[in-house]
Amino acid sequence: MKALEVKNITKRFPGILANDHINLSINKSEIYSIVGENGAGKSTLMKIIYGLYTQTSGEIYVFGEKVKINNSNDAIKLKIGMVHQEFMLIPRFSVTENIVLGQEPKRGIFFDRKTAVKEIKEISDRYGLKVDPLEKVENLPVGIQQRVEILKVLRRGAEILIFDEPTAVLTPEEAEDLFKTLSFLRDSGKTIIFISHKLKEVMAISDRIAVLRRGKLQGVVYKEKTNKQELARMMVGRDVVLEIPAALVKRGDTITSVRNLTVKNNRGIVGLKDVSFDVHSGEILGIAGVEGNGQAELIDALIGFTKPVSGSISLSGEKVKSINPHNMRERGMAYIPEDRKRRGLILPFRIKDNMIMGQHNKKPFSRNGILNDMEIDSFAEKKIEEFDVRPRDIYAKAANLSGGTQQKVLLARELSIWHNFILAAQPTRGLDIGAMEFVYKMLIEEKKRGIAVLLVSLELSEIMGLADRILVLYEGEIIGEKKPGETSEEDLGLMMLGLKKKEKVV
Amino acid sequence: MDNTSLLNSSLTQTMDYAAPILFAALGGVMSENAGVFNIALEGIMRFAAFFGVWGAYISGTPWIGLLWGIGIGIVIGSLHAYITVKWAGDQIVSGVAINVMSMGIITYLLELIFKTTGYSPPVPYFGSSVNRIHIVFIENIPFLGAFSNLTILVWFAIILTVLMHFMLYRTVFGLRIRSVGENPYAAETLGINVVRIKWFAVIMGSIFAAFGGMALSLGTLSSFTNAMANGKGFIGLAAMIFGKWTPFGAMAASLLFASAQVIQLLLQVAASGFAKLIPLGFYLALPYILTIGALIGVVGRAVPPAADGEPYKKE
Ligand SMILES: Nc1ncnc2c1ncn2[C@@H]1O[C@H](COP(=O)(O)OP(=O)(O)OP(=O)(O)O)[C@@H](O)[C@H]1O
Ligand SMILES: [Mg+2]
Repeated sequence: MKALEVKNITKRFPGILANDHINLSINKSEIYSIVGENGAGKSTLMKIIYGLYTQTSGEIYVFGEKVKINNSNDAIKLKIGMVHQEFMLIPRFSVTENIVLGQEPKRGIFFDRKTAVKEIKEISDRYGLKVDPLEKVENLPVGIQQRVEILKVLRRGAEILIFDEPTAVLTPEEAEDLFKTLSFLRDSGKTIIFISHKLKEVMAISDRIAVLRRGKLQGVVYKEKTNKQELARMMVGRDVVLEIPAALVKRGDTITSVRNLTVKNNRGIVGLKDVSFDVHSGEILGIAGVEGNGQAELIDALIGFTKPVSGSISLSGEKVKSINPHNMRERGMAYIPEDRKRRGLILPFRIKDNMIMGQHNKKPFSRNGILNDMEIDSFAEKKIEEFDVRPRDIYAKAANLSGGTQQKVLLARELSIWHNFILAAQPTRGLDIGAMEFVYKMLIEEKKRGIAVLLVSLELSEIMGLADRILVLYEGEIIGEKKPGETSEEDLGLMMLGLKKKEKVV
Repeated sequence: MDNTSLLNSSLTQTMDYAAPILFAALGGVMSENAGVFNIALEGIMRFAAFFGVWGAYISGTPWIGLLWGIGIGIVIGSLHAYITVKWAGDQIVSGVAINVMSMGIITYLLELIFKTTGYSPPVPYFGSSVNRIHIVFIENIPFLGAFSNLTILVWFAIILTVLMHFMLYRTVFGLRIRSVGENPYAAETLGINVVRIKWFAVIMGSIFAAFGGMALSLGTLSSFTNAMANGKGFIGLAAMIFGKWTPFGAMAASLLFASAQVIQLLLQVAASGFAKLIPLGFYLALPYILTIGALIGVVGRAVPPAADGEPYKKE
């Protein structure tokens, strides 16, 4: 039986055709994946199905019946549920309150908390999604928050569940849990639409895979009859180099050194303990670890957001006396943040404004405090060519760009400011393979130029492919150093889980 | 006066002072829990203080005045909601505009209706001893006696605080109001009518502030003066923040601020020796200094609703 069919769906935004006559036919009880580059139109199509956007033309059929979906209420009534890319949760409410909101059990006018809690326990048992109904959502790790989102959708009786890049925010372990849940849901008769940039995931869990490119459907393939290379080629329209070419560069002087760094996080807990390391010119140093083992604290201290409790940071061979972002940048640090929407870009600003931020007060972009628009425009025009930013429109708002494009704008800015050290925090999060390849190439180029790079990533394959040396963080401490040639992903995985004892420490 | 009756009358006075602040604070709690700033509380209080007196003047009874005050609260609240909810306009700008407008319009109306500048003639009011609610048998009990001689408005402020608490934290409607203040987009995807809830909360909040204005002109005084409100609306907002956007918190903060006012009066009377040298202005400023001090102490920990003050725009 067909759960969902879309016929000739087209969606036009000013200046861009986000969906171009798309036809999909999705069976009941299947996991149907959709892949495609950043900006291919995946989220747009899903938002149409969920009633957040209205299609310019085209038809939607749900369980064989033609429907009109004007808002998310209509979608919910048709048993369509969506787990959004950015969670729609209320951090200060409890798990129970979040799940039942809008369809609360009541006694008269009063909210019947007891019944609600009981109900949450029941569905969480039924689907094997363990949650504490009374805990506040703000205290939960991301993986559990996602569980709350899934329960919310299930409680509303969803039969068709849309997951838009659910793994982008998850640690690999959390992602494994999610896949078990998805398979379980499929086996109990639900229909799953799954969007991801990670072809490994798509190949692991899908029944069928649809590929979108620049708003058009490129084709639909059975998982058994395809492979990562073919999918990548369909997505990008050319062969993609998934293997990262090793770049042999002689490592030079120490650029950045960190000594006995101890950092407290914003909850006042020591998250990083007595960490020391050096990064050299022409070297990529990888930091591996399960999320929450001190990466955030390390990054925040390096860029100067938090003052370390003790220890020191030296940049360009000189100890930084007063640690704040301005001083760090003055001494040659470029920063690629993991959360480009919050830390990297100012979303309501245009591309050109974002491109010069940080240099906005310097010549030639401003003189005596007055911005020089001509200089800014010509700089931005040059950079969007160089970094292949699409659309080629320096006046486009950063908020309306796809994730990959936002990352390109960010890279264009950071790499054009004078630097000899790059702090790259999960630089490929949420990026498609084309954009990923681009970021890798950039980092390797920088390394060849003699720049020192610190790469903090949750993706082991990324670290194994790019780094010259790898440090493993576990519970805020460095518990080992490896060279990619001397270790394996399994070996590193064990160290990350703290199952292997402290080895050589720098 | 013996000690018990001095204590009790000071407490009664504290509650008299607290009521207008508390009403304003509850108005803020209502509105901001649904995510809309309402700094127009000050202006609404002034409007209602005037309209309450006007109504009482024409009819000869404060009850009609009360209805007039509620009416103007609804009108001004609707204006604020129209600007900030319907058109997602800037909430601060709208609030400032209403405050400024209240000055001009009321000065004009005073001249037009009462032919005076800056004050109205006395009218029947809730604070007169016939209109106060007397509970004779508790009169001489320390503390409890403070409740023996309150105005109906003070009682209403107390009851309203309790009702608001239950409404916000125990009812389905309250849960929905708070969800709108925390994350309106999440609320909308769950089928909650965000716009309607915001309208309701802004208007209800404005009505509460209107009661605050009348607690001044028909509660403690029996006439309108142009100096009325005198920052009470803003102190109400401070009490809301100090009370962490909760009804009981707001009540505690209002009582604290009001007691500063009463202590100030007592100090002025009792001042002798060195204290006499302290200028009167200092005593008058004392409640406000205390307010600022209290806020400095608490502001780091007070967290507003997550989407407080953000205009809500649908796709
Ligand atoms: N509200 C909007 N207004 C204008 N343009 C938009 C809007 N939403 C999306 N777009 C544009 O439509 C195109 C498709 O975007 P969409 O978000 O669907 O891509 P995507 O495939 O989900 O990408 P990603 O993998 O980065 O999430 C992009 O070019 C994007 O800039
Ligand atoms: Mg998307």
